[in-house]
Amino acid sequence: MSIKKYSSMIRAGILDALQFRLALIVTTVGNLLYLLLIYHLWKAVFASADSPVVNGMTFSDTMIYLVFASSLMNFMEMWVVWFMGRSIQSGEIACDLLRPISYRSWRFFDGIGENIVKFVTTFLPTAIVVFIVSKGAIKLGSNLLFFVFSAGLSLVINFYINFMVGTICMYTDTIWGINIMKVVIVELFSGATVPIAFFPDSIKQIVLLLPFQTIVNTPLQLLLHPEFSLMERFTMLAPQITWFVILFFVSDWFFNISLRRITVNGG
Amino acid sequence: MNMKKGILFYLRIYRKIVVQDIKSKMSYRADFIISMIGMIFTNICGALGFWLIFQRFPSIDGWNYNEMMFLYGFSLISATPAQCLFDNNWNLRIVVYDGSFIKYCFRPINLFFYYMSEVFDVKGLGQFLFGIIAVAYSWNKLSLPFHWYSLPLFIFMALSASLFVIALLNLASATCFWLVHSFFALQLSNTLRDFAKYPITIFGLTIRNLLTFVIPVAFMAFYPSMPFLRETQVQWQTYLTPVFGIFFLYISYKVWMKGALAYDGTGN
Repeated sequence: MSIKKYSSMIRAGILDALQFRLALIVTTVGNLLYLLLIYHLWKAVFASADSPVVNGMTFSDTMIYLVFASSLMNFMEMWVVWFMGRSIQSGEIACDLLRPISYRSWRFFDGIGENIVKFVTTFLPTAIVVFIVSKGAIKLGSNLLFFVFSAGLSLVINFYINFMVGTICMYTDTIWGINIMKVVIVELFSGATVPIAFFPDSIKQIVLLLPFQTIVNTPLQLLLHPEFSLMERFTMLAPQITWFVILFFVSDWFFNISLRRITVNGG
Repeated sequence: MNMKKGILFYLRIYRKIVVQDIKSKMSYRADFIISMIGMIFTNICGALGFWLIFQRFPSIDGWNYNEMMFLYGFSLISATPAQCLFDNNWNLRIVVYDGSFIKYCFRPINLFFYYMSEVFDVKGLGQFLFGIIAVAYSWNKLSLPFHWYSLPLFIFMALSASLFVIALLNLASATCFWLVHSFFALQLSNTLRDFAKYPITIFGLTIRNLLTFVIPVAFMAFYPSMPFLRETQVQWQTYLTPVFGIFFLYISYKVWMKGALAYDGTGN
């Protein structure tokens, strides 16, 4: 096992993503438009509220949360399901399985370069702008450390979920329908569209047990609440680490039993 | 391109091509069913987002839950023709990139027509169904008046609004004739379409004007649904919807054709 084989794959991914600078600009414009939309939407929503604080969140808290949530989602965007679905349909997966690296690791390190580029080009600038605009509403300290750790776990958990959904394609021979369901479930239950704080209590309790909220909600709570004690922080991290471990094993197991099913015609 | 052939000729051809497409899709039944479920599921989750907001907040700038559902439903209905009939736009960048687009240039029928006729996206009907249910539900909940002209007017307005959705999709997909990596333009057009689901009164004057005159997203649901939602607040833009829609569609068609005719057939 050498680090070199992973780093070379990551490097290739980075170069690949940097090739399309115009795409980056268009994506940025799209993200800004989305932020414009949610800004006006939530401003209108809070204008109708009886008090400026709803469920412990003010308008600016909500905006900071949603801006971070959307840039987290952007940076973690992956094409794993499409890639796996296509290579299952075309039969290419038969060759990919022969690589001297596990299929899952290959997909992960092959795709992560693009995520790194997006982290630097979209997440970091957004975070810096938010810090400047909010004029120090977010105190920086050890919470940053917890955030980085948690966001790293989020990326991997998000990958495992995508990998499992990609594995489902072996059974269904269809991509679009499966992928779109994953996208909307993750967006809604991660708290990326509506902050989980606003969910009705009964639904909130269920959502907090699911893995999706650990993708966006957990790292953001750790970042936006510097007042949390060490104990509170670890309580927040516990479900995320648990899901990381569960998904690590389950996604591997699911992929391996599904491989027995696969039939490649013509290869 | 030969535009002199009559509309009946084109309708007959369209039927033939689409029947083939549907037959071939039906042979992948699982894909068809899962795509349909995925579409309806997406729409339900979209509505669920609104529902969640309204669990904590009474209104969005004076618009209540049912009015928001009406707009949401209307935007799904007006997106149906683009989804069902013009979905092949999403594949355009692929066939242009690999060079197989050239086959469309050799047929003695209109290029744009032939390309679009090749795909009829059935799952768009799922979206349509959900849109109808959302509109009917909120119509009933809001106890909006139902006149003798309501239904024909609704169909007319929904069709007019659909022209904008088609035009935006054409323009976004036509970028692939000039850019290699044009998938992001299609994604951008989807983001823009998100604006259609909300009443434009939540925006400031500048954005309102932008959404009316520059990127006419407000015509996809807001203006055309005003005669039903708030009869007394109808603005002049509502009356302009069909005219402006035809104009915008015409522009998008011209741009699309300009790109297609400049296509050199080698792929990129």
